[in-house]
Amino acid sequence: MKFNPIPQPLWLAETLRLREERDGLSDDNEACRLTRAAGGSLGERILARAGLLAPASGLLRAVQNWQRASSLAMLLLVIAAILGGGGLAFSALGSGSTPVNLPWALLSLLGLNLLTLAGWLLGLLLPGGGLFSLGRLWLDLGQRLSHEPDWSPGPAWLLLMERAGLLRRTFGLFSHGLWLLTLSSSLLMLILLLSARRYEFVWETTLLDAGSLAAVIDLLGQLPGLLGFPHPDSSQLLAPVSDDEGRRLWASWLIGSMLVYGLLPRLLLLLACLWRPLPANLLDTSLPGYARLHERLLPEQQSLGVVDPDPQLEAAPLEAPAVQPRGDGAWMVGIELYGRDDWPPQLAGVNDGGVLDDRESRRSLLERFTHQPPQRLLIVCDPQRSADRGTLALLGELQRCAGATRIWLLPAPAGQQLDPERLADWHTALDRAGLIHSSELPAHWLEHGDD
Amino acid sequence: MTDTLKLAVVGHTNVGKTSLLRTLTRDRHFGEVSHRPGTTRHVEGARLSAGGEAVLDLFDTPGMEDAIALRDHYDSLAEPGERLDGPQRIRRLLATPACAQRFEQEAKVLRSLIEANAGLYVIDAREPVLAKYRDELALLGDCGKPLLPVLNFVADPQHRGEEWREMLARQGLHAVVRFDSVAPPGDGERRLYESLALLLEPARPRLEKLIAEHATRRRERLHSAGVLIADLLIDAAACRRPVQGHPEAIATAIEQLHTDLRQREQRCVEELLQLFAFSEEDAEASELPLLDGRWGDDLFHPETLRQLGVQLGSGMAAGAAAGAGIDLLVGGLSLGAAAAIGAIAGGSWQTLSSYGQRLRDRITGHRELTVDDAILRLLALRQQQLLTALDQRGHAARQRLQLSSPEQQQWREGKLPEPVDRARAHPEWSRLNGRLETDSERQKVVQALGRQLLEA
Repeated sequence: MKFNPIPQPLWLAETLRLREERDGLSDDNEACRLTRAAGGSLGERILARAGLLAPASGLLRAVQNWQRASSLAMLLLVIAAILGGGGLAFSALGSGSTPVNLPWALLSLLGLNLLTLAGWLLGLLLPGGGLFSLGRLWLDLGQRLSHEPDWSPGPAWLLLMERAGLLRRTFGLFSHGLWLLTLSSSLLMLILLLSARRYEFVWETTLLDAGSLAAVIDLLGQLPGLLGFPHPDSSQLLAPVSDDEGRRLWASWLIGSMLVYGLLPRLLLLLACLWRPLPANLLDTSLPGYARLHERLLPEQQSLGVVDPDPQLEAAPLEAPAVQPRGDGAWMVGIELYGRDDWPPQLAGVNDGGVLDDRESRRSLLERFTHQPPQRLLIVCDPQRSADRGTLALLGELQRCAGATRIWLLPAPAGQQLDPERLADWHTALDRAGLIHSSELPAHWLEHGDD
Repeated sequence: MTDTLKLAVVGHTNVGKTSLLRTLTRDRHFGEVSHRPGTTRHVEGARLSAGGEAVLDLFDTPGMEDAIALRDHYDSLAEPGERLDGPQRIRRLLATPACAQRFEQEAKVLRSLIEANAGLYVIDAREPVLAKYRDELALLGDCGKPLLPVLNFVADPQHRGEEWREMLARQGLHAVVRFDSVAPPGDGERRLYESLALLLEPARPRLEKLIAEHATRRRERLHSAGVLIADLLIDAAACRRPVQGHPEAIATAIEQLHTDLRQREQRCVEELLQLFAFSEEDAEASELPLLDGRWGDDLFHPETLRQLGVQLGSGMAAGAAAGAGIDLLVGGLSLGAAAAIGAIAGGSWQTLSSYGQRLRDRITGHRELTVDDAILRLLALRQQQLLTALDQRGHAARQRLQLSSPEQQQWREGKLPEPVDRARAHPEWSRLNGRLETDSERQKVVQALGRQLLEA
């Protein structure tokens, strides 16, 4: 098809979309990568991607096949039209042995044409019509010849033409064009036959009388008369025409009528169906087939990777206390306890170190312990907080200051539950630090020094 | 500001920085999320673009865990009488050997904030306002970059958002963003970017561009999803299977129709997941009404219909054969008579040939199977439910979505939309009937139904 208003990249993209709709997304990682690197708007990227995927996936070949097959189909139809036209003229005039029945000849030459013309006009008026036409026939024939029943580019082409508003025009062009061809070849054959053979013309009628027939012929002869064709005398109608002058007149009349009532309408309609220029936005990016490409081609987010990698330092070895101080007395201290009603527990003979939170409170307690280390130290932690490095470092420092240290992990406040994962994290961290911990208050150990 | 806007996401460990980034980047595979403290140990970046142009670089940082000790160390470096400002002191701190050892993670955070244009300080609003958080803010504040606090987990009834606001106000941070896990992502993100635009005026145009781009994409996704669901419904409504009169043939044909329809629905589900950039492994049952990427309840079980409140129609075959309406050709012909006249005038080959077939079938005693209205309703409701879940993705909804919205009453009980009725008369529109002719009439109908589904 040399005259194809749809640009090929667009056609490829649309065919690919229909195919992906049916078969699923193609393997397009490389194509998408190259497309993203090339840049452009979403529409341009979609076309570029289709262009990159076309050769390998057989799409390009299918399109070329289809074009070839359509051209072949067109050729076949053209040949059929020419032959048909010639045959029409032949059958209308007959072999020359019998006189030619003029009204019948005219009817057989133009009848089918006028019928299909009426059908086309009716199709114009009805919505969604115009599907029964030679254009459809051509497409079907092309489809059959192209041997690609699976995903032919045909439907994509039709969709695009429809969106461009050119589909009806194209089918109209086709119908009128083929009929014009048929009628022209018919006319040519007519002229040829009339020139080469001797025909007798006769008007026959059973139903109509001479007067109305004359009126009809007069009417029919008006338009050809305007173009310069001779207007025969309708008075001698029903007698067989035998002289040369009369025959030539009638032959010209026949040719004139055919030209005016056959070829001319079709020619005018053909000119009316000529293509308009293509509208700009044929690529409808809101279709689902394209929408899911949006994220692949114009990604909203992309990873920048690791910018500052983890040097994977080994965790500093926990310093075992060189000499565990002997210490004196029992102390309990809370770390980051907040709004807990169960603190401090009432224990006899145990010093209350308070709740450590900020730097000052930590520093002052650590100073005191450095100068006067306790023999037994209970550290109370709330497992609702995270067992982060800072807290663990503090626990280590406190442990190094005291004789023996234990950790009490508070139970959940009334009506709530502890997060089991966070509790497990606490256990893991404390075990790794070598700290004895429990979820119950080791009151006896704290007060008396043994369990 | 000509380069992209750089944002460092900072905060204590386990407050949800990486989860926040996953929501903002819509990338479920960004970074690593776990309950253990100190999961993120490196700085990882993601770039957000709008219309192919890079707008925002987001950086996930390690959690700060040892701020009190670090601040202690920081303060000890200060010499009396010196006149260094905050960023200079921080740079001095970063040069100390302790920052390469004990405070290596905290140093990464400070470094990335210094290199960024602004920081998002993420707070677990359930935590009490402890001293270590104040020390974190003091250190971060000295970096000299605007900080926007983000209160996370505000949906929890036990949260202490007000206490946090007070503390932040005392530190001079008055613009605070709530990032709710239950709020729809469109809103939460928009508010975050708008607050950021207030903090960084020069960045306002590009942030507005980002907001606009997200909104556009969301609309596009919804529109495409509507078309996909409409496509499914048209395929189902237009489906017609000829079946011979005797019971075994009918049972076999019903079974086949069930299988084909289930597969078609599954395909729609997969396409929706793909559209919202979800992979089937991500589709967990708690977030989406799916089980391993498939519907848990069978399409054709009467119980499924009952659960979603769809009434069983009267034209159903007996027993458990829900979903196939036996349509006598008489009824079918009357439905399509108007279409037939139009077809002859317009000259559509397909309709004429199909009527020839149906006439022949009528004479030889064949019947037709179609899909019942109830099943169409069920399909529509289920897919809309899935669409809602996918649209709100990114914020883990704790319960399964409840189907009680009044808009869906129309699908449950009301009249079926006009495009669905039209499809009943066009068997050539259904993929389930064999080869599909992609004609523009069908496309228009699908688009119209898609729009209707979204309005519902």
